[in-house]
Amino acid sequence: MRLAGRFGGAALSLLMVAVLGFFLFRVVPGDPVVSMTRGRPVTAEMQAALRAQFGLDRPLHEQFWTYLTSLLRGDLGTSFTFRRPVAEVILDRVGPTVLLVGTATLIAVLLGLWLGVRAAWRRDSAFDRVTTGVSLTLWAVPTFWLGMLLMMVTGDLFPSRGMRDTDTAPDLLSQALDVGHHLVLPSLTLVAVVCAEYALVMRSSLLEEMHAPYLTTARAKGLRDDLVRRRHAVPNAVLPAITLVFLRFGLVVAGAITTETVFSWPGLGLLFHDALTGPDYFLLQGLLVVTAGAVVVMNLLADLLHGVLDPRVGVV
Amino acid sequence: MLELNNLTVHYGHKRVVHDVSLSLAPGQTLGLAGESGSGKSTVAMSVLRLLPRSARVEGEVLLDGEDVAAMSWGRLRAVRWASASIVFQGAMHSLNPVHRVGEQIAEPMRLHGTPGRVTELLEQVELPRDKARAYPHELSGGQKQRVMIAMALACGPRLVVADEPTTALDVVVQEQVLALMTRLVAEQDLGLLMISHDLSVLARTCEDIAVMQGGELVERGRTREVIANPRHPHTAALTAAFPVIGDPAHRWSDPAPAPEPLLRVRDLVVDYGRTRAVDGVDLTIGRGEIVALVGQSGSGKTTLARTIMGLRAPSSGRVIFDGVEVGRGSRAIKAFRRQVQLVLQDPSSALNPRHTVFDAVAEGLRVHGVPGDHEALVTAAVERAELRPASLYLDALPHELSGGQQQRVVIAGALVLQPRLLLADEPVASLDASVRGEIVALLLRLRAELGLASLLITHDLGLAWQIADRVAVMHQGKIVEQGPVGQVLLTPSHDYTRALLRAVPQV
Amino acid sequence: MSFADGVRTGRGGAAGAFLAHRTGVAGAVALAVAALVAVLAPLFIPADALDVTRVTAQAWQPPGAGHWLGTDHTGRSVALLMAQGTGTSLFVGLTAAVLSVGIGTFAGVVSGHFGGLLAGALLRVTDFFLVLPALVLAIALSTVLPRGLGTIILAIGLTSWPSTARMVRAQTLTIEARPFVERARALGGGHAHVIGRHVLPSVVPLVLVNATLSVASAIVAESTLAFLGLGDPTRISWGAMLHQAQLHGAVPQRAWWFLLPPGLAIVVVVLAFTLVGRALEAVVTPKR
Repeated sequence: MRLAGRFGGAALSLLMVAVLGFFLFRVVPGDPVVSMTRGRPVTAEMQAALRAQFGLDRPLHEQFWTYLTSLLRGDLGTSFTFRRPVAEVILDRVGPTVLLVGTATLIAVLLGLWLGVRAAWRRDSAFDRVTTGVSLTLWAVPTFWLGMLLMMVTGDLFPSRGMRDTDTAPDLLSQALDVGHHLVLPSLTLVAVVCAEYALVMRSSLLEEMHAPYLTTARAKGLRDDLVRRRHAVPNAVLPAITLVFLRFGLVVAGAITTETVFSWPGLGLLFHDALTGPDYFLLQGLLVVTAGAVVVMNLLADLLHGVLDPRVGVV
Repeated sequence: MLELNNLTVHYGHKRVVHDVSLSLAPGQTLGLAGESGSGKSTVAMSVLRLLPRSARVEGEVLLDGEDVAAMSWGRLRAVRWASASIVFQGAMHSLNPVHRVGEQIAEPMRLHGTPGRVTELLEQVELPRDKARAYPHELSGGQKQRVMIAMALACGPRLVVADEPTTALDVVVQEQVLALMTRLVAEQDLGLLMISHDLSVLARTCEDIAVMQGGELVERGRTREVIANPRHPHTAALTAAFPVIGDPAHRWSDPAPAPEPLLRVRDLVVDYGRTRAVDGVDLTIGRGEIVALVGQSGSGKTTLARTIMGLRAPSSGRVIFDGVEVGRGSRAIKAFRRQVQLVLQDPSSALNPRHTVFDAVAEGLRVHGVPGDHEALVTAAVERAELRPASLYLDALPHELSGGQQQRVVIAGALVLQPRLLLADEPVASLDASVRGEIVALLLRLRAELGLASLLITHDLGLAWQIADRVAVMHQGKIVEQGPVGQVLLTPSHDYTRALLRAVPQV
Repeated sequence: MSFADGVRTGRGGAAGAFLAHRTGVAGAVALAVAALVAVLAPLFIPADALDVTRVTAQAWQPPGAGHWLGTDHTGRSVALLMAQGTGTSLFVGLTAAVLSVGIGTFAGVVSGHFGGLLAGALLRVTDFFLVLPALVLAIALSTVLPRGLGTIILAIGLTSWPSTARMVRAQTLTIEARPFVERARALGGGHAHVIGRHVLPSVVPLVLVNATLSVASAIVAESTLAFLGLGDPTRISWGAMLHQAQLHGAVPQRAWWFLLPPGLAIVVVVLAFTLVGRALEAVVTPKR
């Protein structure tokens, strides 16, 4: 029952993503062809031809229907700048982003939760003050600026552009090492910002639990303080924290866009940047639908995970 | 076995326990009574040194001759639960929500190396053994409290401290849990220190009783003697709050002769989804009559009151007020609500913490656009609710008032509209015992002076005996018995009424 | 607590309680300074100094006697650019936050107070926008709308309201579950009475806290959009300066004087708003 509701909700969200993607770029004022070709020498005939090519000359409802049906087939239209299907362009860039975002999220979650637990348990200690202070400051730091700063400070220590060098030996190990070397700065940037948020979330979540009466029960039973924390407080506090971590996956996505732009990391974020400087509306629309869809799916996963972890929610 | 010598506890500059000395021998049962803020729970927590760090403790707490305050952490941990265990108040929050209860019972056994099995413990507290795999939220309140008791017995302690073990429970379940505790204490020859605000609960379980007030011990003795001949006025006030059903001395009013009907409820049905909360209720309240509606929690009595007020729509049935059927339109309901007022259980939450007494009382006047001098009307209502002089209270915020004063403000807020009927939902249940009597007396006085009728919704049969003219007993959405107080409470005709009466702990 | 004691400790302590938070006070002071700079800068900076076509100084000069924060890629003084940009960042941050908190409060109160289909749909929409990455939407919006300050404010305001709505809704539900609201209804109070007298007054302090924190994230969002080149090309802002720095290669040139000040300014102002917000939060939510 609950499971069906979750899937239904996610499906509805995906549909809303699709609708949003369509209307954001059609109904909003301005002719897409005019703005895409702005500043270029284009005649009225060429514009009309483009309009016909993209189907923009047909009635809105017809356009919407074509859009929806092709979306279901995985067809996201044709990119204006790349002159290739949007879906293909996007697919090419998924790998690097998954690598970057995956690495950063994993490190940030582990580090952030650990810092948060420690800070909360020793509330008002030096450790807590430093962690909270640094986290708050990092939260205030624009991701892209941190990236530029790291790039300038480290100088030539790490490569700062792209994902691999052209002259690296083709064997797997050298390639992997090269990618890893390129990965250091972008992932460090992303980890710093995201991890701060997670640490703050985990800290306040555990502080919420600190006054729970069941902790007194555990202490009365004769448990050592660290067992009270590990066995009783943390499992309860981690659940809402993990849910929040997944909920704020959108934050990581946002961070990835600027980080990839700064480091020219050839992923979806950089593609976003390219698409908006065009501007390439069909590419942008495709990216919006794909990233928003991915976030909706992540959210569904978080929900399901929560159901498995928290006995109070129950799976079915 | 347990000895408290001159125990004094401070929180900052606030002294919450002052110079308390007590002792408890093995096999002895001692009840510690007191109102909220009397320091009784602090005493309980000091036994195992569980007070927060901000607490400053002076005096001695000797457990088997050893001072708890002087123990090393290791020794203290060894003593906790093995020598003395605690049944905490509110089992709902005192059990860890994400661990299975069997695991939670087994945890101290593993920790202290006690042999034994969870299933045996569950049998002792009369729970089926498969409940060990349940999570706390899957159990009822009574079952959770049984789990707490099983957990307390896990390491075979000689002393059990029970801190308000039955407070959140329904009367019938409370009686079951108390019976269980009494049996286990006798069988296992345990020492029991039971803390409660409810003298009748302590009288049911403890041989000795000690009464605390404002952090000090004011009286101690054999339970029977203390209750029969209280020496301290505070003890007397506490005893008076628990009337003996059937004792004419505890009847505060004479039943009125059958008056003209004011409110009639006809065949009222309320459904919550698929469950039927109120199932074909007929009820009549006469002018100036006090009718008590009694029953366990979940019997539908609160839903019935809300539906009469129009706060929830009935599935079918009629409400007739003063000979006219109350319509469903918002205008009709609004007019009806000038005549009928609601008094809720917990006055501290029934008042908006940001509104002054004046605002709270004048709220009804504003809502109905009553013309005239609001200040004069509010002052009159506040004084009628016996907050005198009103000028002292009008600018106060709710948190600056005591529970009893807050309830008077709620009543004044009802009186200001000059209603003809009060629906009082457990009006004294959350008040301290000594204040309770004053509010009950106020309700009676309002009836005498204003001819105000009341529908008193309560789980407390003693309260019904004290002031009601008639009693209606509700069970599973139906009224199973109704009639004059004497008839229903003294010669009950329905099995359920008899069961309820049996569950009332007698002082 | 005795009656007379209570009256005196009741009100008027809010300002004192705020002052007890040293970090909050530090934040407030930093904001006051920033506001002062924002107001004074346009009055004292001659238009010539910021006009690319009229500046005379050399490009990429490190800090020195003439330009104590150096010059940018066109020879304009970084210090003057910083001062001029303060206003834009604060203005966008404040107005976008007001817009977002306004929408959020409305949506939260409506979906919390009213039941039924409309509230359900509103909640569904709120949840939908809550999970979507706000920046991605803001980027999309500012790409399709004409460039300008209004677009940026709209893009940030229209995409960041769901968290406020969620919080306000939760608070509305909490308040509505309190017996005093039931009492107000039993007294005959309608929707307007319950919302006006009970829900809104209790929501306002939280909204205030939330607004302060929203300004912080709006400023970061503004700088991000400007960095991506979506800002108002006619205005100087800290984010736009970083965009120029990235575009014209400040990093490879090690022009730290062009990179550090705008970023630091953003961090300080955002941190200041966050600290003030946290201090306000501690004041309005009673300690347990």
